Amino acid sequence: MSSFTIGSGSVMAACGVDRVRPPSAAANIFTIGRRELRDAVRSRWFILYTLAFTGLGLSVSYISAASTGGSGLSGFGRTTAGLINLVLLVVPLMALTAGAGSIASDRERGMLSYLLAQPVTRVEVLIGKYLGLAGSLFACITLGLGLCALIVAWKGEATRPQSLLWLTGLTFVLALGMLSVGMLLSSVARRASGAIGTAIFLWLVFVFATDLVLMAGTLAFKLRIQELFALSLVNPLQVFKMWSLHSAEASLDVLGPAGLYASEEYGPMLHVIFAGCLLAWVVLPLVVAGAVFSRRSPV
Amino acid sequence: MIRIRELVKTFGRSRAVDGVSIDIAEGQSVALWGGNGAGKTTIIRCVLGLFRFGGTIEVGGLDVRRSGKRARRLIGYVPQELGFYDELRAAEAVRFFARLKGLRSRNEGEALGHVGLVGHEHKRVRELSGGMKQRLALAIALLGDPPILILDEVTASLDACGRDELVQLLSRLSRGGRTMLFASHRVEEVSSLANRVVMLERGRAVGECGVESFMPRLGLSTLLHLHIVESARVEAMTTLRAHGFAPRLNGVGLMVPVPAEQKAAPFRVLAQARIAVDDFELIRASEVGGVHPTQEVAS
Amino acid sequence: MRALSVILSVLSVLCAGVARGGDEHEALPRAVVAARGDVNVGVIGRRIAAAKDGDVVRIGAGVYREHVVIDKRIALIGEPGAIIDGGGSGDIVEIRSEGVTLRGFTVRNTGIDLDKENAGVRVLAPRCVIEDNRLEGILFGIDLREASGSVVRGNRIGGKDLDIARRGDGLRLWRSDGALIENNVIHDGRDAILWYSKGITVRGNVGVRCRYGLHLMYSDEVVIEGNDLSENSVGLYIMYSRVVQVRGNRLIRNRGPSGYGLGLKEADQYAIESNLIAGNRVGVYFDGSPFSTVKPGVVRGNTMACNDIGLTLLPSVRGNEISENNFIDNIEQVSVGGRGELKGNQFWKGERGNYWTDYVGYDENGDGVGDFVHESQTLFENMMDREPKLRLLLFSPAQQAIEFIGRALPAVRPEAKFVDEVPLMRPVEFPARLVEGGSSIGWLVLAGVVLVALGGGLVLMAQCDCPSGFRTGGSA
Repeated sequence: MSSFTIGSGSVMAACGVDRVRPPSAAANIFTIGRRELRDAVRSRWFILYTLAFTGLGLSVSYISAASTGGSGLSGFGRTTAGLINLVLLVVPLMALTAGAGSIASDRERGMLSYLLAQPVTRVEVLIGKYLGLAGSLFACITLGLGLCALIVAWKGEATRPQSLLWLTGLTFVLALGMLSVGMLLSSVARRASGAIGTAIFLWLVFVFATDLVLMAGTLAFKLRIQELFALSLVNPLQVFKMWSLHSAEASLDVLGPAGLYASEEYGPMLHVIFAGCLLAWVVLPLVVAGAVFSRRSPV
Repeated sequence: MIRIRELVKTFGRSRAVDGVSIDIAEGQSVALWGGNGAGKTTIIRCVLGLFRFGGTIEVGGLDVRRSGKRARRLIGYVPQELGFYDELRAAEAVRFFARLKGLRSRNEGEALGHVGLVGHEHKRVRELSGGMKQRLALAIALLGDPPILILDEVTASLDACGRDELVQLLSRLSRGGRTMLFASHRVEEVSSLANRVVMLERGRAVGECGVESFMPRLGLSTLLHLHIVESARVEAMTTLRAHGFAPRLNGVGLMVPVPAEQKAAPFRVLAQARIAVDDFELIRASEVGGVHPTQEVAS
Repeated sequence: MRALSVILSVLSVLCAGVARGGDEHEALPRAVVAARGDVNVGVIGRRIAAAKDGDVVRIGAGVYREHVVIDKRIALIGEPGAIIDGGGSGDIVEIRSEGVTLRGFTVRNTGIDLDKENAGVRVLAPRCVIEDNRLEGILFGIDLREASGSVVRGNRIGGKDLDIARRGDGLRLWRSDGALIENNVIHDGRDAILWYSKGITVRGNVGVRCRYGLHLMYSDEVVIEGNDLSENSVGLYIMYSRVVQVRGNRLIRNRGPSGYGLGLKEADQYAIESNLIAGNRVGVYFDGSPFSTVKPGVVRGNTMACNDIGLTLLPSVRGNEISENNFIDNIEQVSVGGRGELKGNQFWKGERGNYWTDYVGYDENGDGVGDFVHESQTLFENMMDREPKLRLLLFSPAQQAIEFIGRALPAVRPEAKFVDEVPLMRPVEFPARLVEGGSSIGWLVLAGVVLVALGGGLVLMAQCDCPSGFRTGGSA
């Protein structure tokens, strides 16, 4: 072992001490967020999801561009619709599992208590982790959809760039919402495996179960269109889908009578309604997660 | 420097810590001594603000519950085992925690040098041996030269060699005038690092003493395993009993608890009685299983 | 630095490409221009009074505030800048004599009385020519009443900015056989409509943002060719009319409440050929057409692309012969309005069926025809046909789950709506001028580049977090 002298002096000299004041919350959030982001983009799940999302996105764009025979026919957001479908399937799964894995697995590995033993608050850790993961999701989404835009352009299809940018932004909002839900699961769960299991279950609920129940309800109870529309707002995935279509086509008439009803009844207010619904999914689970996280033992 | 008043911590129905009060003055080094389940780690985690607890804890005059972040800025903490981002390089880990402590250091190498990790800056955490990990944790704990060092069974997961190295390192640190609080169930750690010992049993403080009276007070800190031919064992038992020892029979000889500073006494007694000792082993109290020494006396 | 300049030059090229794009319809003026400057009252009336049959009366530039009645067989020619302003009341030009030519005027500001049908140009006599005029702020545009053999050509007709219920028809023919309607632009009106008029040719017109781009009522032997009827409530609606040819038109983004690209109600002996029908709520809507069994309804060589529904046929419809069309990415390719089958219609002719983007078969012998029949039988479509409200759940993974179930479990698989026995493997060619322009590709590339740069940048930034300025310190 090398020789060393340690007293109150040498380490201080090495590090330049500010003894009294710990860094601000923003600085800590930034530090933790960056750490989390970096950890995430190097992790296997991120690489796999990004490859899967980009690959599927490219094939969707390529196929929908190719099926029009390169005629440049689809100025009507058909590629966008295909991408919406893909986003609905992949992004919630990605965000839910990423969120679910975060706190629970740290707790399981003993990392969490070590981190919290540093001069940080729990809220800083939660927000930092959230933003870091959000950053990784943002990277995944923009990479995927950006490449899709390029391939669509290359195939000479006239998809409007605004609708693609809208789609990207809304996809990110959806990812944030699902990430919040995942973080909530993670802060409640005892084990990471349990949190991720629950996340996958929730994914199935969001992606399939709610819509199937809605379909069955519509057929069985003869729901009125107002009721059907209101119920569809419960599912964040439907909200995302409707908002994307609304922003791309300026109308929901493509969704039949219920969509037409929504467009005519609410018009541009739909933006506000959809934003409210989706942001609620971002904020509320995160707030609850914060409450749970600051109460629960990190061990 | 640290004031613990009437600390109570319950897990469900069981009381892990039950009304413990400890005062640690600046520069003092206090060992929490006790077996598994005595409440050592729990007290440390309460001091770090990782648990919610009853009673009050102040660190450097700061209430841990209300200003935990600032209190923790005064503390360097080394856990039993460093659970941390495995993929991180040693220098990166140091840099990350330096940021959390509000230090803008570019001298990760120096910080690592103090704990004898020169040349390991670029190793990933998972590539470090157990002893190196603990020294890395120590380097991190020493960042920013905190006035308080808290160690939680830091040698528990190390082999004998790593243990000795770390204890050596720490004993030099403790001479630097730093306030220390640590949990241990190893006599040699306590005797070489602490100047005061708080004995815990089932969540209660059952005694407190200076380190000079610690060893005697423990009374029976060492077991002597004497190999004696079978025919002579009974005679050896009675002889030793007559001289105030409490031997027990086992397969190849006798187990004799001896005071730490009188380990050769049984040999003298047996030699006088002309009983041959073929071989012997010293079993340290800590290796007996870390049960509280007083229990041993009682049996 | 070099990298930066490369990026900048790439961006500037992209921007230049983008700047060339534009929407042709944006260029159409909507404004109603108020009368201003020197106002001449009664000038044209006096000139007409002074003229005799066969004269050419030229009117110079200027605003003429009057209601003109032409009751002699003259040609009234407006020099550039000649404006006839109705001042917001009544009709503006009324033609009572046959063989009149009206050319080159701007006609503006009729009244808004729907009962009196205030019109920009009203023609009450046969064989007139209305040519190269510009009609602005009119209630009705050009109204031909019993004006057989007239020609309406090259006019630009813009309605008043009124609620659709208070607008008038941009163009109306009433019992005017053999008229030629050519190269006009009609926008923001109610309908362009033919009533009881036989042997009309409608060619090369543009109709946008109206209620009905073109509407036929009881008008037989009409040729509708090369028109662009887009962004109306309904593109082209043919009602109670026989022997109609619809050829090479663009019917795009007609998305009103019914939103048909082309609607056929009790029409008969029609041929719908080589049209581009895209982005409508319903591409072609069949209701009781063909009306008789004289001749099958011919639907051939059209491209139905990206409509919500490609074709809708009411269950009672039979006798259509639908072949060699492209069905490209309509959300629902063919629907039955309500429950029923389409067995009375044939989706092929001879050995040629249609091209379907959702055809899943293959062509092993390479004859251009798929080796398996194309059957449409998706469960979710079936559910949507029965309960249109379910369209709300379109594009969701649940929809695909339903369709997967439909494919996997024969028990719940619905009856095939229709069968194309000889589906084509490659799309049928359609005229190049029908192709939608890809004007926004530059912006799209830019958007893609920006997104990729954002995501990639973030990843790289995260990766490069190695300790910079790192020194192996310590006192070893």
